[in-house]
Amino acid sequence: MDSTLTVRAQRTIAYGFLFFILISMATPFVWMISNTIKEQSEIFQMPPTLIPDEPHLRNYVSLFEDFDFHKHFLNSAFIAVVHTASHLFLASLAGFAFAKYSFPLKNFLFLVLLGSMMVPLYTIFIPLFVLVIRLGLVDSYAGVILPGVAGAFGIFFMKQSMEAVPGELLDSARIDGASEFRIYWQIALPLVRPALAVLAVLAFMGSWNDFVWPLVVLRSRELQTLPVVMAGMVNLYRMEYGVVMAASLLSTLPILLLFLALQKQFVQGLTVGAIKS
Amino acid sequence: MSSASIVEERGLRAWWSRSERKIVPYAFISPFYILFIVFSVGPLFYALYLSLHRWPGTGPMRHVGLGNYTYLAGDPVFLKSLWNTVYYAIGAFLFILPLALLLALLINSTLIRMKSLFRIGYFLPILTSTVAATIMFLLIFNNQFGLINQGLASLGIPALKWLDEELVKISVLAVVTWRYTGINVLYFLTGLQSIPPELYEAAQVDGAGTWAQFRYITLPQLRPIALFVGVVTMIGSFQLFAEPLLLANGGPNDASLTIANYLYRMGFTNAKLGYGSAIGWVLALIIFGLSFFQLYLFGAFRKED
Repeated sequence: MDSTLTVRAQRTIAYGFLFFILISMATPFVWMISNTIKEQSEIFQMPPTLIPDEPHLRNYVSLFEDFDFHKHFLNSAFIAVVHTASHLFLASLAGFAFAKYSFPLKNFLFLVLLGSMMVPLYTIFIPLFVLVIRLGLVDSYAGVILPGVAGAFGIFFMKQSMEAVPGELLDSARIDGASEFRIYWQIALPLVRPALAVLAVLAFMGSWNDFVWPLVVLRSRELQTLPVVMAGMVNLYRMEYGVVMAASLLSTLPILLLFLALQKQFVQGLTVGAIKS
Repeated sequence: MSSASIVEERGLRAWWSRSERKIVPYAFISPFYILFIVFSVGPLFYALYLSLHRWPGTGPMRHVGLGNYTYLAGDPVFLKSLWNTVYYAIGAFLFILPLALLLALLINSTLIRMKSLFRIGYFLPILTSTVAATIMFLLIFNNQFGLINQGLASLGIPALKWLDEELVKISVLAVVTWRYTGINVLYFLTGLQSIPPELYEAAQVDGAGTWAQFRYITLPQLRPIALFVGVVTMIGSFQLFAEPLLLANGGPNDASLTIANYLYRMGFTNAKLGYGSAIGWVLALIIFGLSFFQLYLFGAFRKED
């Protein structure tokens, strides 16, 4: 009797704590959503209202009419799609080479690859910007995409799954006279589709949410991505809170939807580094 | 076509079919190394070169030796940003990691059902961009009408100025905790689930209590994952940028400014590219130093005994 009570008490405390943290974490989301359909005056109102007296969509209208939200949304989408596609291609190609060929200096080159992950972004930030100016890529999508397109992590990740591709399959294709690139493209690549999906989700999210690099590269407003434009809307002295919150919500939606569709790939992708360590 | 060129073409084909497998792997990996050299290695050394010069971005550079570094050592704003950044890193280790470990232990325990609800729920904040996340918190921490102050008011407690000099670092830490706790819960869960259950069964046979099991099985078994989480948290904390920038513009009075914020201010706002690059190299040395220190602390250089 005594011990069941303690187990029950323990369980209650555990659930209480877990739900308390869950609610704390949900609060900013809920509060943001609630404020997207309020008047500025009601946002400031005491006591706060969760569902406003007169809910309206004027903040969303203003977002599209005054801030061209749809254009920046498309900019973000374009950059993220191009980044993801080229990152997947380069990472899987190099991962295939590291997994399925033996060649001189392979181990050394792989060590260099791992070491490249240690270069901190901010250390190369200023010279990278100077370089992008010299290359004439400032204020262009190429300037945003090119420096980050060949990530070492992606190659490392693809190498792991390429190793599972059976060598006999590749050899029999060679006997049939297929070129090495064709073997990669038509045989290896379809077999590692699950890993590609995981990497795609990571790459897309990274690019979609990226802030600092697009901030310095994209000078003209019509090229700018969502995070850059949203940061520009934040003005600590005079700000349309409802509009800014609506932007924040809408910019998060694509990733949320992607997550709901591909939960497993997200979780796997974001914890893969931890497992490999 | 002359017979000579046919022979030549045949020779070329034969040569290619002999060498294709030797050349192709280099071709497949070369894009990475070309981009790495152009966009990482080059800039890394160019940053070192720039850091020894004074340069406003145009016109001639002036060589100043280690002048930027010696100036940095006495620059009160840099020292403040260094202190703030260390504060954030310590805060992340004190708040995020214990909280994440506790949540992971609870989710992993046999007491709890609905495990995926909590796992997924805690995970959602990492999906937001740092910009969107910080924007959400503008309405939580606002000095006048923020949600926290409204809550405090309803309890009869006077409003606190969350974005003023005294509390702004705590507010930044709250945003960071909100965004990164869930991913660390997942890391710890991965570690917990890889502990062989036989270890606990054997301990129970030997009569070890819950605390003894935690102390002598769970903690030591979590060492590799703790090292990973520690290094990732440290590297992330030292590169904080968007949260203090958007929450308080690095202020008030530089109270929330990070090293990355100061680097950006020097390099881009003030066009002191040499000085900014020196800040970047100091940041890199700090990150390398602390990474190696953590690896050493966790015995990554020791042979397993």
